[in-house]
Amino acid sequence: MKLQIGNFHVKDVVFGEQTAFENGILTINKEEAIAFIKEDTHITFADIEIAKPGEDVRIVPVKEAAEPRARVDGRTLFPGVTGELAPCGEGELHALKGVSVLGVGKHWGSFGDGLVDMSGEGQKYTLFGSLINVCLVIDDDVEEERHEQQKKNRAIRWATHLFAEYLGKTVLEQTPDEVETYELPPVLHRGPEVERLPSVVLVMQPQSQMEEMGYNDLVYGWDLNHFVPTFMHPNEVLDGALISGSFMPASSKWATYDMQNFPIIKELYKEHGKTLNFLGVIMSNLNVSLEQKERSAIFVAQIAKSLGADGAIVTEEGYGNPDADYIRCIVALEDVGVKVVGISNECTGRDGASQPLVVLDEKADALVSTGNVSTLIELPAAGKVIGELESLGRDGLSGGWAGDEILGPSVREDGSIIMENNAMFCGDQIAGWSVKTMKEF
Amino acid sequence: MKKAIHYINQFFAGVGGEDKAHFEPELREGKVGPGLALDSVLDAEITHTVICGDNFMGEKTDEAVSRIIDMLKSLEFDIFLAGPAFQAGRYGVACGTIAKAVQEEFGVPVVSSMHIENPGVEMFKKDLYILKGGASAAQTKKDTAAMANVANKLLQGEAVGTAEAEGYFPRGIREQVFLEEPVSAARRGVDMLIKKLAGEPFETELPIPAKDMVDIAPPIKDLSKARIAIVNTGGIVPVDNPDRIQSASATRWGRYDISEMDRLQSGEYKTIHAGFDPAAADADPNVIVPLDVMKEMEKEGVYGSLHPYFYSTVGTGTTQAEAERMGKEMLEKLQEDEVDGVILVST
Repeated sequence: MKLQIGNFHVKDVVFGEQTAFENGILTINKEEAIAFIKEDTHITFADIEIAKPGEDVRIVPVKEAAEPRARVDGRTLFPGVTGELAPCGEGELHALKGVSVLGVGKHWGSFGDGLVDMSGEGQKYTLFGSLINVCLVIDDDVEEERHEQQKKNRAIRWATHLFAEYLGKTVLEQTPDEVETYELPPVLHRGPEVERLPSVVLVMQPQSQMEEMGYNDLVYGWDLNHFVPTFMHPNEVLDGALISGSFMPASSKWATYDMQNFPIIKELYKEHGKTLNFLGVIMSNLNVSLEQKERSAIFVAQIAKSLGADGAIVTEEGYGNPDADYIRCIVALEDVGVKVVGISNECTGRDGASQPLVVLDEKADALVSTGNVSTLIELPAAGKVIGELESLGRDGLSGGWAGDEILGPSVREDGSIIMENNAMFCGDQIAGWSVKTMKEF
Repeated sequence: MKKAIHYINQFFAGVGGEDKAHFEPELREGKVGPGLALDSVLDAEITHTVICGDNFMGEKTDEAVSRIIDMLKSLEFDIFLAGPAFQAGRYGVACGTIAKAVQEEFGVPVVSSMHIENPGVEMFKKDLYILKGGASAAQTKKDTAAMANVANKLLQGEAVGTAEAEGYFPRGIREQVFLEEPVSAARRGVDMLIKKLAGEPFETELPIPAKDMVDIAPPIKDLSKARIAIVNTGGIVPVDNPDRIQSASATRWGRYDISEMDRLQSGEYKTIHAGFDPAAADADPNVIVPLDVMKEMEKEGVYGSLHPYFYSTVGTGTTQAEAERMGKEMLEKLQEDEVDGVILVST
């Protein structure tokens, strides 16, 4: 399977007469764009704002992020989500780099929403602080979840995916600045040079712990809660087979942007044929009951063993309860002789003294740590807020609070904030971007 | 100039060795012994030195601590330094005990230094900065410099770096840091996997402490002849807690004579455990130390005989090392009385 991603480096994004990409400048006709977004009749309000690195801007509540892309063969960007089902992973994609489309609530936040700062101390806490963000600021008519802490945020999330494709289409007819090629032949036809190398799989555990449909990550539009692990080609992940959900505390989340660019996949590709034989991805999930967790671990270990994997990287989109799935999966793999490295964040509490994962096991002897969800972060007021700052404290975001007897409210009258890292949008970058680790003090 | 107070034992104060280990707490103006080296690298002046015999601190701990706290009450100081204690066990425990007490009483930062094998490390590393020190006084210069390095940051209100970078024993705190030389988690993970697959050494970013598994003992062949003892970590003690067992992070244990009673009476026994609601155990201590049932079963001949003491400590927050030590100490007494089996009640 061969996927080519043609990259177009975006220097700036501006509003103008015609939605087009020229000389590194992405221009958006705001009126037309808003009309496109409002084709979803559930969207009662839509605005677009552009936030650039270095600007004194804070964005909250952020619900989703996607990279603007389009497929040259005309198939939809996220099959089963933005259009009809079609296989992912083969063919040509065109991608606008350095840009993301952010789905932002005009007012209302929910548990899994996050915050992005574009400058100052807060900028470093998210990847999106370093990208040009095309912020879709949206309100919808979904009254029944208006005051729920858990929201499906369907209209805003789907608008993000559809608008990513809308912008991506500006470069369909153009020649990319560079082309990334991702190609892996069938597992059994790689030749002796590759097959003598240690073979490895990536085990992905996307978030799927909501029993009610509509909140979880989707694979080809299918809810990952109703799923048992299966073998996938890594190109499928890079090519829109997965979309992010609306449940996990933000810092532990993989946005759709992360899935499109999954850094662990890209690093494994770099080693393929040199030091490793990258067999592919075992797509797993995260579950609620112990039996479900065990079932997924059994599937993963069996697939890895049957494929002849020598090693695996296991990564979870979550913390807390999902640590049980994460450690169980690592142990199940080690038990069948697959050597495992785990990549996840930790929850050691505001004082750093709590047990880092809910479950520990000595067999998990090679772990990469990407951050502490409960680190307290205090930031000065931003000159401009996109969205609604009050949502951080008011609406039950995982890292915000309305009031605390010692710390006071998350959002102060002067616009400064105090929050847990939990609400930094994809802040722990478990997908693999993270340049944070955990140290002993 | 900020002010520091320094704690040392009788030996390093030049009072004397083992024969002077009962030396009572004394406050002297200025610096004494290793205080000279410490003062020379500290961004504060050592205005006073507290000297106390190691045995006095070890045997009359409450008195020693309260007398020293009283001595310090009229003084102004910004930091309290104890040791370095090297490998001297009683001195290390004394440094930890007084430093922890001073920190709690006066809210000032405290710093010490000990060798890794000093028992004071395991007992107090979570409570204060204990620098990783040398085994003997030959390391005085190096150890005092390391203490001053951390102390100076605390004095200036600067962030103290990681345990690894600063050279102190980890205090049980894990916190996120941005890598100085940024390498992505994806790259770190792949590099770690390559090493693990090649059988090369690699360093996990989350070390998982090894479980110290104890094999389950074989069953007692003939229970009707067996001598049984009751041990508990639920903190059941006579109401005056004669052994001063701590309510959490225990380092002490006690054993109490039950040969003349058929049950533990409420009001005579209680729990001092801080990790659960004590109401039920205070109302009926037998729910944790089941003396009543054990006596009945003894009379019925279910087992041979009951060991005449029950043993007690507190489990909450207690370190594995302390638990192991206390367990071994209890075991000596149990073996002297040829106990065959123990009912260990945890809470």
